[in-house]
Amino acid sequence: MKFLTQPPRFLFFTGKGGVGKTSIACATAIHMAENGNRVLLVSTDPASNVGQVLGVAIGNQITPIPEVARLSALEIDPQAAAQEYRDRIVGPVRGVLPETVVRGIEEQLSGACTTEIAAFDEFTALLTDANLTAEFDHIIFDTAPTGHTIRLLQLPGAWSGFLDEGKGDASCLGPLAGLEKQREKYKQAVQSLADPQRTRLILVARAQASSLNEVARTHGELAKIGLRGQHLVVNGVMPESEADVDPLAASIRRREQASLAALPGVLKTLPYDQLPLMPFNMVGLRALRQLLNEPDGRGTAVEDRPVDIEAPGLSELVDRIARDRRGLVMLMGKGGVGKTTLAAAIAVELARRGFPVHLTTSDPAAHLSETLSGAVENLTVSRIDPRVETENYRQRVLETKGATLDAQGRALLEEDLRSPCTEEIAVFQAFSGVIRESTRKFVVMDTAPTGHTLLLLDATGAYHREITRQMTDKSMHVTTPMMRLQDAQRTKVLIVTLAETTPVLEAANLQSDLRRAGIEPWAWVINNCAAAAHPGSPLLRQRARNELKEVEAVATHHAHRYAVVPLLSNEPIGVPHLLELLDTKLGQAT
Amino acid sequence: MKTFQVYDPPMCCSSGVCGPEVDPKLVRFSADFHWLANQGVAVERYNLSQQPLEFAGNPAVKSALDNDGTACLPLILVNGNIVSKGRYPERDELARFLGMDEPARPAILPVLGDGSCKPGSGCC
Repeated sequence: MKFLTQPPRFLFFTGKGGVGKTSIACATAIHMAENGNRVLLVSTDPASNVGQVLGVAIGNQITPIPEVARLSALEIDPQAAAQEYRDRIVGPVRGVLPETVVRGIEEQLSGACTTEIAAFDEFTALLTDANLTAEFDHIIFDTAPTGHTIRLLQLPGAWSGFLDEGKGDASCLGPLAGLEKQREKYKQAVQSLADPQRTRLILVARAQASSLNEVARTHGELAKIGLRGQHLVVNGVMPESEADVDPLAASIRRREQASLAALPGVLKTLPYDQLPLMPFNMVGLRALRQLLNEPDGRGTAVEDRPVDIEAPGLSELVDRIARDRRGLVMLMGKGGVGKTTLAAAIAVELARRGFPVHLTTSDPAAHLSETLSGAVENLTVSRIDPRVETENYRQRVLETKGATLDAQGRALLEEDLRSPCTEEIAVFQAFSGVIRESTRKFVVMDTAPTGHTLLLLDATGAYHREITRQMTDKSMHVTTPMMRLQDAQRTKVLIVTLAETTPVLEAANLQSDLRRAGIEPWAWVINNCAAAAHPGSPLLRQRARNELKEVEAVATHHAHRYAVVPLLSNEPIGVPHLLELLDTKLGQAT
Repeated sequence: MKTFQVYDPPMCCSSGVCGPEVDPKLVRFSADFHWLANQGVAVERYNLSQQPLEFAGNPAVKSALDNDGTACLPLILVNGNIVSKGRYPERDELARFLGMDEPARPAILPVLGDGSCKPGSGCC
């Protein structure tokens, strides 16, 4: 493994939820400790399964792992860190200011940026305080700060605005307000990150075009800031041996190999390792040791019995949706879970049943809208390019607000405009025109704002309502985007996830975020389910068996109603393949 | 010396970039605020989501919040007395609050156009 050779002091693993970065970070920590190094493993995994994996309760303190000599671990809960920050700000006025006012403040401090910066704050001591980490040779993190966070920390204006005066403009630095004494520490932390002698960044991806493109973006962004010590690990690759015994495994392998052959150019120069798809969950020391240590034994899957699952298919959800004859259907979920494909399948099926449908997608690849345009009667397809929308929005803001700022202030505003919230708002604005059509027809969207964004949008809505109230013309009607989405008669939110621990957990977080905004998700869809595909490959069967408890959790715990979509051997492009997604029986082994 | 205090609504940033639109009134007001500072007025500006203690610690502000909630924001105080509620006044009005001479034309005109609300856009 190249990423394990001559490791520097700090190792960061980064990649989307569900790619396996926590497993690889754990395996790396065990491997290095067993090779004689003193290792500290730092996890921010929201599933916090590091303790479970290592068989010891770990909290927000450095805890030695009894089973592995020289290994200690520390869990950082970014949500808890953000909550601590909110409490610090809000605590003193709770019970003093009215409850609604306090809630408004808390919402302002509930964005993704707050969580991220609060987590980075927790990292800082580990990166800069030599005494704290003196007893360790290596410190391994299962996550990495985003480019947005690091750039903010590098902007001198961000500090002068927020810390010196306490009334700056940068939204995303909010969580650091009042921490002026640490300014020098943040600077040191960023310097450590940018030094390849001290820090290695390991990008973790799956062998899928969307995952590899995502990693290529992260690579570019972090390289630009100066994080040059980067490696690439492609995890979960279908082994050739499985492809020989099962047509489904064979077609997955073909697809993966094609994606790897078309690896984005910027990634080709990076040192590169591949890890095979494992038949078991990465829980327990034995499993983790096998991931990196025993290349010969790891392909042996044990499951030879077929796995069966009783679960509703997507067509049953479409039946329910069709009853209303019109309305807004929004698919939500993390990137890479298949929102665009499922949105297309639902839209095509509704149109096939004779309803007028407008499918609108933010799919960056655009090939979906191209293959569907004009292909089905009653179906209109439009596409909103998030990059174009965000860029337009940025330009508009810089021309208005930016015009009055000095160079420093402008740099700060530009950075604020690179925050994830900005893209979400820009895209949602573009979508909101289409949403109005849902009074007459079906509108199916493959994206939606988070609850936090909606609450922020609604705060402005409240302001507008107030203005209207003060106006003499009482006939003026005020509807905010949030009010539309809260209307269950008109809007159905479908949460898309995969039958794996981290994706299900992330989907549950998304759901609670929406509930905070008064929006109740209508259904969950579990995509790419191996169990529903009735695979013949022992490895896929083992994975299918592992999926069952996640499907069960969704069915009994998270969702009002749900559907399962099988892992398919054909990439679902074009009408016939999209319609295959609707029927779970189609994947049945023959 | 006169004091001029602004108590802003909870904004995650005073630029408004995190909201659905950049409010041109905020842009204009920021410029006016700096203009007042340059005229020798002691100016202070607080954001509810960042300095809530400043709101709780000022009896006039706290009482306005108790009665009207955040709808009363922004509050503008001159020498500790509330002179304006729920809006960002124009520069000449600010000057009157402070008993100053009629100000020169603002250096930056309010920006209209794309930043403003369109009928049917869902925001109003």
